[in-house]
Amino acid sequence: MEIKFGLISADSHVALDRDAFTKRMSAAKWGERIPQVIEVEVDGRKVERWSVYAKGSGSDANFGVSGVCNCPAVMGDPFPTYPERWEDVPRRATDPIERLKALDEDRVDAEVLFPNNPAPNFLGPKDKDFELDAVVAYNDAVAEWRRASDRYVPLALVPYLSDISVIVGEIERSYELGHRGVNLLGQLPKGLPLLTDPHWYPVWEVCQALGVPVHFHGSAGLQPSASIPRWDGYSIRALHSSSTTPSSVTPGQVIPNLVFSGVLERFPQLKCVFAEAGIGGLNYVIAVCDHEWETRHLWTEGLSTRPSELVRRQIFVNFWFESGGIQLRHNIGIDNIMWESDFPHVASYYPHSWEHVERVLEGVSEDDRRKLLYENAINVYGIDAKVPAAV
Amino acid sequence: MQLKYGLISVDDHVQEPPDLWTSRLSKAKWGDRIPHVEQASDGSERWVLDGQVVLDGHVADVGAIMPDRNHEPRRWDEVPAAAYRPAERLKAMEADGVDYSVLYPTVAGHAGETFGRLTDPELELACVQAYNDWLIDEWGAASDRFVPQCIVPLWPAEAAVAEIRRAVGRGHRGVIYPGMPMHLRDVPHINGSEYNPIWSVCEELGVPLCLHAGASTRLQYASREGLSPALADALSAATRPVSSVYMITHFSFSKTLIEHPKLRVVMGESALSWGMLYMEWADHQFEHDGLPREGYEMKPSEMFKRQCFFTSWFDNVAPYADFYGYDRILWSTNYPLATSTWPRTRETVTRCLEGVPPAERDRVLWGNAAALYGL
Repeated sequence: MEIKFGLISADSHVALDRDAFTKRMSAAKWGERIPQVIEVEVDGRKVERWSVYAKGSGSDANFGVSGVCNCPAVMGDPFPTYPERWEDVPRRATDPIERLKALDEDRVDAEVLFPNNPAPNFLGPKDKDFELDAVVAYNDAVAEWRRASDRYVPLALVPYLSDISVIVGEIERSYELGHRGVNLLGQLPKGLPLLTDPHWYPVWEVCQALGVPVHFHGSAGLQPSASIPRWDGYSIRALHSSSTTPSSVTPGQVIPNLVFSGVLERFPQLKCVFAEAGIGGLNYVIAVCDHEWETRHLWTEGLSTRPSELVRRQIFVNFWFESGGIQLRHNIGIDNIMWESDFPHVASYYPHSWEHVERVLEGVSEDDRRKLLYENAINVYGIDAKVPAAV
Repeated sequence: MQLKYGLISVDDHVQEPPDLWTSRLSKAKWGDRIPHVEQASDGSERWVLDGQVVLDGHVADVGAIMPDRNHEPRRWDEVPAAAYRPAERLKAMEADGVDYSVLYPTVAGHAGETFGRLTDPELELACVQAYNDWLIDEWGAASDRFVPQCIVPLWPAEAAVAEIRRAVGRGHRGVIYPGMPMHLRDVPHINGSEYNPIWSVCEELGVPLCLHAGASTRLQYASREGLSPALADALSAATRPVSSVYMITHFSFSKTLIEHPKLRVVMGESALSWGMLYMEWADHQFEHDGLPREGYEMKPSEMFKRQCFFTSWFDNVAPYADFYGYDRILWSTNYPLATSTWPRTRETVTRCLEGVPPAERDRVLWGNAAALYGL
C-alpha cells in the first residue's frame, strides 16, 4: 500500500454486515443462536439489535446504548447518535469499499481493525463449540475486508474455551488469511487460567514466531469496575465518564503482570499493544517496575532484564488526545507510540482527525512525528508500505 | 518546627506490637476476638482478628529492614525493633535523613481497612480506639517528629465523626479512611451523601483525609500461582495504585470535591506518574461527555489541583510537576515496607528531584507537608 497522507490508525473498529455470521455458520447446527440482527423492544419502542446465541438467553451483548451498530462517528448530528435500525446504519461503516471514502475524507492511510458489535468475544454463552464456530466466522468475515483493500490490518479473535492447539491453529489460519495480530482479554472469565499462566505460552510462542502483536483494548476485560457497585447519583454521561476514565490504569495492571511473571523475558520477540488506554500509563509502569526490580534485586529471582528494557523492547501504546503524554514521549519510548482514531466510535475525531493530531503534536520534530503517525505502525504490523520521499 | 535534613516523609507505617489490643481491650468481654498473634501449625506466627487471619498471614510487614528484603519475618522475635519502638524508629530516621514521619498502620490496614470488615460495630470501635490511643500514648508522646493519623470506624458516618473529633482532640493530625468501604462490608457507595458528615468534619477540623493505596486488593489484577514471594510482592506493589485511580475518579465525577471545597485529600502511596494521564483523560472525557453542562463548576484536573496531593517515593518529579504543579506533590520513604527507599532515601531523592529548582525542591520534600499538617 501507498502512504499518501502519513497517518495510520492503530485502533479502529470494523463494523461487520448483518449477514456476516448467518452466511458463514451452519443454520442446521446453530439456528437462531447464530449472531444476527433481530427486532426487539427497548423502552416500548421496536428497534433492532444484534443477538448472540438467541435473544433472551442472557448472552445478548448489545441491547444497551450503542444501538444496532456502534458507529456514532458516521451518524452526524446530534452527536453522539446510535442507529436504532439496520437501515439507519451508513454503508461507510459496514462496507469495506465505502469505508475507504471515509478514510480518504479523514486523510487516514490505513487502520488496524478491532471488533465492534456484536461482541469483542464469544465467551458469553460458555459453549465451546459455538465459540469456535463464531470466532472462525468472525475471522473469515474480517479477512474479507483485507481482501477488499490492503489499507485494512485485521486482528483475529481466539476461541478461548478450545484446546490450546486449536487456538494456536486458529491464529495460524488467520495469519494465512491476512490477519496481523490477535486481540485478547486481559482478564479471562473464572474457570480459565490467568493470562500469565503457562497454559497460554503456546499463544505467545505462535505470535512471536509469526511476528504479530497481541492486543489489549481499553479496559481489556479487567473486572475492577464490575466489582464497584453502580452509584445511582450519576447522570448517564457522568456514569460514562467515571467508568471510562479508569481505563487509563489498564497498562498499569497488565504490564507488571507480564513483566514479573516472566512472560516478556521468556518470549523476547513477543509484541504487546495496548489500545485505547492512553500512553501516559507507561511512565508509571516503567518507573514502578524498575523501582521494584532494583529495590528487591529481582535479577536474583530469575528476572535478568531490567523491566524498562523489556517494556521498550516489547510494549506499544496508542494516543489520540494526550498532549501531556506526548511531551514525555522520549521517556515513554519514541518507537513505542502509535496514533489511533477509534473510528467509528464515540472517541473518534473523524472527520477532523488531523486538527487534533496537529494540536497534540504541537512542537514535535518531523522525525518524531513520522514515527508517531505511521512509521511505528508500519514496523509493528509489518505493513508493506510505499513511503514517498516527502509526505 | 526544626528541620535538620529537610525531609518530611508523609507515608510511613508503624508496626503494631502483639500486646497493643490485648492490653487495651477487655479479655472478659471479647476473649479471643481481640486482635492477637498466634502460632500456625508450621511454627510461624500471624495476626488473628475475630477468627480471621489478617495481614496475609504475616506477623509483620517490614521487608525493608529485614536482612533480606524479600523475606518477611516468620515470628515476632525476628521483627526489628525500629518497626514498633519509637526510640529505635527515631534512630532509623536519623540514619536515612528524615525529620518528620507521618504514620499509617500495618495490622489495622495500610489504608486503615482491617476493622472495617468487622460486622460487630462495638468490637470495631474498641479496636479502632485502642489503636488511636496507643499511637498517641506511645508514638505521639515519644517525639513531636511523629505525625499521628487516626483510623475510624467505617460506618455509620456518625460513629466515624465522633471518633475523628475524639482522636483529633487527642493529637491526631490526619484521618485515614479506606477509599472503597463498600468492598469491606455492606455500606453505601463512597459517593453517597451519607458520607458527607465525615468529609465535613475533616474540613471543619482542618485535617487532611488520607486515602492510601491498596484500600481494596479486589481491584488489583491477581498474580498467577507459583510466583516466588518476591515476584508476587513486587507485582502487588506495582498494581496497588489502581484503587487510587478509582477513588479519585469517583471523588471527582460525584462532585464530592466540589461540594467540600476545604477538604484536602492525600493519595497515600500513589506515585506521581499515572496522575498526568488520569487528569488528561478525566478532562478529555469530561468535555467529550458534555459534563460542563451538568452543573460542574470545575474540570477534574482543577478539582485535583485545588484539593488533592500525590505522594511519591521513587518517580521523577520534574516531568509531572510541570503538568500539575509542585504544590500537589508530597514525598515519603514508605518505611519499613519492602518497597521503601530506606536506607538509600538520600540518593533516591537526589535522582528523583534532578532538575528541580531549590525552592520547589523544598516544597516537595517538606514545605507542602508542613503546611498540610500544620507543623
